[in-house]
Order: sequence, then structure tokens, then C-alpha cells
Amino acid sequence: MTANVIRDLLDQAFPGGEIDVEDRTGGGDHFQVTITSNAFNGLPLIQQHKLVNAALAAPLADGTIHELRIRTKGTA
Amino acid sequence: MSTLHDQIKQVIDTEPVAVFIKGTPEAPACGNSMRALQALWQAGAPIVAVDVLPDPRIRQELTALSEWPTIPQVFVKGELIGGADITEELHASGELKAKIDEALGAEHTQTVRTVELALD
Repeated sequence: MTANVIRDLLDQAFPGGEIDVEDRTGGGDHFQVTITSNAFNGLPLIQQHKLVNAALAAPLADGTIHELRIRTKGTA
Repeated sequence: MSTLHDQIKQVIDTEPVAVFIKGTPEAPACGNSMRALQALWQAGAPIVAVDVLPDPRIRQELTALSEWPTIPQVFVKGELIGGADITEELHASGELKAKIDEALGAEHTQTVRTVELALD
């Protein structure tokens, strides 16, 4: 359920990106997201992760996501 | 007494390596805090840790300053390098050690210290 919400938010933020959302514990609040997108090309890791945090700002702020692991990759 | 904001900023600005975690280095209360600590330790960093759990305002003030929503948060020379994932990735690639050696010189000592913020 929450995984789908996260996927939708990431799809909107990174159109055309390759997006994987894994519910790490099955409890619906610990997630691993893996994203490959041209939006990350040339950016340092910290800026790449900031883009992901920004895309998921709402579920992060309201506690829907208790724990988030991020892995990002550019396409270049 | 200085405000929480000022105390947090001072730790970030004055400590070469500062990490904001849940729990303490001796007893991390969260797996991700532990991951960040382990990567820093293995990279030879002198660690200054701040526990965000004693008061929710610590995390609020920190996130307002850093614009980073999650814990842990690792700072080297006043600059946010990231959370547990980035710290681990940079450690695996050797960049973390390079960054720390650059900030402190290759011949630095490795210590672990906990800073307690004064809460009013």
C-alpha cells in the first residue's frame, strides 16, 4: 500500500527512471528505494539523495516512512 | 544558555567529524546510526556524536539547519555528507577516508566522544 504511494511519488519525480521500492520488513514503514535516472547525472551523492528526500517529503514528514534507505544511480 | 540551534550549529562548525544519531556510540538505538558509526570508525574518523533522542526538538532544529529529513546525519568539516547509505557508499569507495584524511591530515588520532546538548 505505502510502497505504491512511494512508487507513484518517485515516478512523478523521476519520469522514465528505473524505480524499485522494497518493503524491507513487510511492516509497511521500512523501505529501500533504488532509482536509476538521468536526473542524477553529474550530481554528487548528497544532491542525488536530496532529490529523493524531496520527492518523498510528505511521507517522511508525517511518519508514514519510518526508515528509508536510498540507492541512486545516474544513467551517464 | 545558548539555544539548541546555536549548540547544534557549534558542534557542526567546530568538530571535524560530527554525527547525529539515535542513542550513543556505545549503545546505538537504531541500525542506521550503527551503520554510519561503523563506516566512520573503519575510515579512521575521530567521532563526535550527538544523541537526538533526549528531546524531539534536537531533531527538529537539526533538520531545519541541514535540510535533511532522516537520522543519522554525518558532517565533515561543517558540511553534511549524508546519512547512513551515503556514508557507507563513500566508505566502500574509499572516498570517506580520503575526505577525513584531507580534513584532518593523515596522522590524526581516532577518538569517540559524545556531546550532550543543554536542554532548557
